[in-house]
Amino acid sequence: MSAPLLEMRNIETYYGPIMAIRGVSLTVNEGEIVAVLGANGAGKTTLLKTATGALDSNKGQVLLDGEEIQCRDPDWVARKGIAHVPEGREVFPFLTVAENLAMGAYNRRDNDAVAADTETVYGYFPALRELRGKMAAYLSGGQQQMLAIGRGFMSRPRLLMLDEPSLGLSPLLIQEIFAIIARLNREQGMTILLVEQNANVALQVSNRGYVMEVGGMVMDGKSADLLESEDIKEFYLGKKEEGIRGRRRWKKRKTWR
Amino acid sequence: MSTDNVLIDGCDTLPKLFLKVAAERGDRIAMREKDFGIWQSYSWNDYRERAMEIAYGLLSLGLQRGDVVSIQSEDCREWLWADVGSLLAGGVVNGIYPTYQARQVEHTLSDSSCRFLFAEDEEQLDKYLEIEKELPGIERVFVFDWTGLRGFEHDKVDSIESLFEMGKSYRADHEGLVERISEEGSGDDRAALVYTSGTTGLPKGSILSQRYIMCQMSFSPDYLRLSKDDEILTYLPLCHIAERVFSGWLPIAQGATINFSESPETVAQNLRELSPTYVLAVPRVWEKFYSRVTTAMSEATWVGRKAYETGIKIGMRRADKMIAGEKLSALDKLKFVIADKVVFSNIKKMLGLNRAHSAASGAAPISPALLKWFLAIGLAIDELWGQTELGIITTTRKGVFRIGTVGPAMPGTEVRIDDNGEIVARSVGQFDGYLNQPEKTAETIVNGWIHTGDVGELDEEGNLSITDRLKDIIITAGGKNITPSVMENELKFSPYVSDAVIIGDKRKYLTCLIMIDQENVEHYAQTHSVPFTDYRSLCAQPEVIGLVDAEISRVNAGFSSVEQVKRFRLIDVLLTAEDEELTPTMKLKRSFVCEKYSDLIDSMYAGKASS
Repeated sequence: MSAPLLEMRNIETYYGPIMAIRGVSLTVNEGEIVAVLGANGAGKTTLLKTATGALDSNKGQVLLDGEEIQCRDPDWVARKGIAHVPEGREVFPFLTVAENLAMGAYNRRDNDAVAADTETVYGYFPALRELRGKMAAYLSGGQQQMLAIGRGFMSRPRLLMLDEPSLGLSPLLIQEIFAIIARLNREQGMTILLVEQNANVALQVSNRGYVMEVGGMVMDGKSADLLESEDIKEFYLGKKEEGIRGRRRWKKRKTWR
Repeated sequence: MSTDNVLIDGCDTLPKLFLKVAAERGDRIAMREKDFGIWQSYSWNDYRERAMEIAYGLLSLGLQRGDVVSIQSEDCREWLWADVGSLLAGGVVNGIYPTYQARQVEHTLSDSSCRFLFAEDEEQLDKYLEIEKELPGIERVFVFDWTGLRGFEHDKVDSIESLFEMGKSYRADHEGLVERISEEGSGDDRAALVYTSGTTGLPKGSILSQRYIMCQMSFSPDYLRLSKDDEILTYLPLCHIAERVFSGWLPIAQGATINFSESPETVAQNLRELSPTYVLAVPRVWEKFYSRVTTAMSEATWVGRKAYETGIKIGMRRADKMIAGEKLSALDKLKFVIADKVVFSNIKKMLGLNRAHSAASGAAPISPALLKWFLAIGLAIDELWGQTELGIITTTRKGVFRIGTVGPAMPGTEVRIDDNGEIVARSVGQFDGYLNQPEKTAETIVNGWIHTGDVGELDEEGNLSITDRLKDIIITAGGKNITPSVMENELKFSPYVSDAVIIGDKRKYLTCLIMIDQENVEHYAQTHSVPFTDYRSLCAQPEVIGLVDAEISRVNAGFSSVEQVKRFRLIDVLLTAEDEELTPTMKLKRSFVCEKYSDLIDSMYAGKASS
């Protein structure tokens, strides 16, 4: 097997004195969708930020195509081919939709291809085409999320990292966005690292998944297997076996196996 | 052996003694437990009143002398209230491990013909509800913690508070009844049932009498050195005989204060914050302390490491002299005082052992090297030996350091070695047989002597040393007798090995299943940049396997070729107390493990072994 596209080895990242990630390793192979699940504060966002260089790790390596990229400037990492779609969209509010997309291609000089890719984005997100002249601030949450993903795509990255694309969206819209994520992967061959709280949709579209808890990895495996795991069912999918009294409040001990 | 009663303060049963001492001790603190993170104290008066209310409550429900009451809970104040309360009413108390699954709970409840059940909370109650239909004999269930059960209604189930109320009103009309019942009691009365996890077959219930309890109590404070000013931390399951003796019975005899740990996960923190004056622990805990120190030292500054190494050298030399029984020179003493001030006191503070005047290890064999290390830092750990059937009957004596032995028998008990090497023993307070199992009882008690199933030796001073469990002794295909526990203990001394099971009965060579110490191995992987995700992948890393291999080679070096482990495998599932592979005290169950991992074991015998 060829070297993974992204490999993180024993990453430790601190916020001041607090160790937010305690020794996390993860791999993403070319062409895969990999999901990282975990509750709030588990360290998922920190993991992505460490990969892009927005945060510097204190220990461990990040390898993109076998090349060490940890602790480099974020713009350098972006040029290397990692696009980060941050949590909460973070579109440029005072720029139009078209300008936002153009910002995604800031590093590119192949104008024809950029124009073609803009069309591709509009193809995936037809709503954006109609809104291309509007200021991004006026878009709805769902439209902004589409724009953020589109902007990420515009840099034609090797790896697209999505931080909670389902945040604050209606269930229907979540289905729609994830369907598009799956299509981007299938049709464009886009490798995607997906961080999500919504375990169900994330495991539906991804090939493999990791589960993080208090800064460490507790489980990993094929998404289909994770969906079958008792602990995932109980703690992430909210499926409790009915207790003898109809409902039970107490939780089983997590074993992650 | 004589059936004379064992008397303490003129009392021959726990209820008589309890009523007497609780009245004398009054407002002195008997126990502490955290409530929403804040320590709350309960005096002997509180202890007595709650126990009385429970006793009267159970009497009002028709409890007769000898009826069985079960307690299914983690350690908590209500556990002991219900324990003593049931005894005061003439009941027999059966503790059920809260980690038991419903199926195991059902066996002990039906085998013991239990009438009343105390369940800790919603979770434990659910286990009963699951098997309710099979247990028509259970008349009432009382729940300690009603959280999450609001609105729940069931004919048989009530909160402990409602039992207190029942008890209060019954007591008003029958003042003096409990005292009368306790007066009628005798040392022969059944007091407790203790089920021991059968590694083969279902658990057997040992019948313990009041005399058994009084006998255990009589060993303090001279042999089990717990006295009235001591503070202890209660964290091993109270269903286990060791914790019941130390947290349940000895404090009644001596008046020590017990402190409940918040949960099994917080034992280390609770120890640090309390710093008990007497520490009882199982070898696994002592091993953990040691590995925490070694890990901390490997990361310490150069100066810190040097100070530690120098200190340990001084401590070890002192320990050697103490073991040899030589007198310590003034210089030795001075050196130790300095080493203690500079190094050891900090280590002990870090572990919560700085106030401990005594410590004890029991329930499993412990590595002599570990005991010596603790002696070196100035903490002499007594080794205790016994079993449910006998109680604790041997202990090492104060100021005598026979490391590797569990000391001589205590007064009222006798130990000798049978022809086949098995240790047989008797005690004035030994058990009265297994419930409903006359054949098993007859196998165990022969002519009044209890066959312990342990193999061991007695030295000329009467110190007992334990070799192994008789049935665990391995006879290899080459006919060589091997006692696995010696090597297993050496392996467990390694900070990276949590538990080990050596295999090789009727096999060509020895192999080993290893359970790694998650915390320390993860730490190792982290500092050596070994990538892993979960526990399974950690166990699969070549570096981790190499690490364990090095530990095995180190231990192998001390043994002859036939006694060496040729191959090993790691158990790559993170086991918890709920898993049947582990005993409630977190030891691997040999026979269970051998069966469950038979494929893994067979793989070690496939092909040719490299030696």
